[in-house]
Amino acid sequence: MFGRSGKKGNYAYIVARVKAKKAGLMNDDAYSKMLMMSLPEISRFISESGYQKEITELTGKYSGVDLIEHATYTNMARLYRSILESSEGDLKEMIVSDLERWDIWNLKVILRGRSFGLGADDIREDLVPAGVLDLEHLDKLISMDSDDDILAAYQKQTEVTIPAAVLSKYKEEKNLAVIEDCLDKIYYEKLLLSIDPSSRPKRLFQDFIRNEIDITNLETILKLKKENVPADVILTYVIPGGKLIDKKLATQLANAESVSAMNGDLSQLEFYEDIKDALDDSKPLREIVAALEKYHMAQASTFSHLYPLSVIPVIDFMIHKENEVNNIRIIARGLESGLDREIIKGLLVV
Amino acid sequence: MVDTVGYGLIAIGAGIAVGITGLGAGLAERDVGAAAVGAITEDVSLFGKAMVLMVLPETIVIFGLVVAILAMVMISIPTA
Repeated sequence: MFGRSGKKGNYAYIVARVKAKKAGLMNDDAYSKMLMMSLPEISRFISESGYQKEITELTGKYSGVDLIEHATYTNMARLYRSILESSEGDLKEMIVSDLERWDIWNLKVILRGRSFGLGADDIREDLVPAGVLDLEHLDKLISMDSDDDILAAYQKQTEVTIPAAVLSKYKEEKNLAVIEDCLDKIYYEKLLLSIDPSSRPKRLFQDFIRNEIDITNLETILKLKKENVPADVILTYVIPGGKLIDKKLATQLANAESVSAMNGDLSQLEFYEDIKDALDDSKPLREIVAALEKYHMAQASTFSHLYPLSVIPVIDFMIHKENEVNNIRIIARGLESGLDREIIKGLLVV
Repeated sequence: MVDTVGYGLIAIGAGIAVGITGLGAGLAERDVGAAAVGAITEDVSLFGKAMVLMVLPETIVIFGLVVAILAMVMISIPTA
């Protein structure tokens, strides 16, 4: 009745929860404070900022930067899972599709870990069970005998079909990049298909995801250009479905002589103003990546304000939470490696 | 006879005023209530604010009730 059946999802409840959670995230001042601390001080500081349960649980098992990394990842995984379990209807379907990126992340970790001959315990330590597959399912994948069994079980669990040609190519070449690239493409394809563009908020979410594909593609092209990878190889890694970077523009960018030469082609894109200062061969790639990440986060916040009762505020929170975790890890890893504080500050996305 | 039909119609109008506004308030409270519970789940200190927001849609019913009372008063005022 009144277009409010259970299938529509409990937007008001979930959005209120994620907005409250987002209000509790760390701000710029917190990062500045952490930059002046030692690792044990950072552990104590984050335990007072929402990570207390995880720090307490893991403090006997890990210490220093490992404790901080595991606590932040565990906290993030628990938060995502609690949002997923509380959501209903089409809202849940969209969140599930979005969170599958963590299942892919975990599958990549398992395959890479096995290819380097790591044991089950070592692989398990690097998993982030923030997706649809919980630790129990991931444990089953780790314990399997061969990569073929893992891929077959993964496809069954997540209802994903990896093309036979890709699987046979992987068997021949034993190159994980083939599978990883295919999984990323399938992820975005499935995510776009899960969004029914019948209403404006959902069309906006679809636009947001297509924009994310553009950002991912641009990052891929820039990284490979820096490594002098040939244009035809670069184009095989481009994910289809982008909003602004179509096949033609991607080809132009891949064929550009240098990063500076991309200025002309990129000037027509809406995020050009945000990255133009970093588009210089003399500047490190991380500056462009950081500028793109900032643009992506700002866009998520803008969209979430336009349509408060939609999936976008949930995605907005997830992006900001992941960014907080990444920032804490950058600070902890940077301080442990003895990096200059100004360099660490430059790596943060705030 | 004419008066009786008129009074009946006024009474029906009063009933509709309360009934429809009640439905409207219910629909509004559905989302406000869900959001309030969500906010309180995350932060118990928001209970007071959430409670105020929760009862705001009730004002619609008060408007309906006032209209209904005015209508019923019309019945009780003797016609000249």
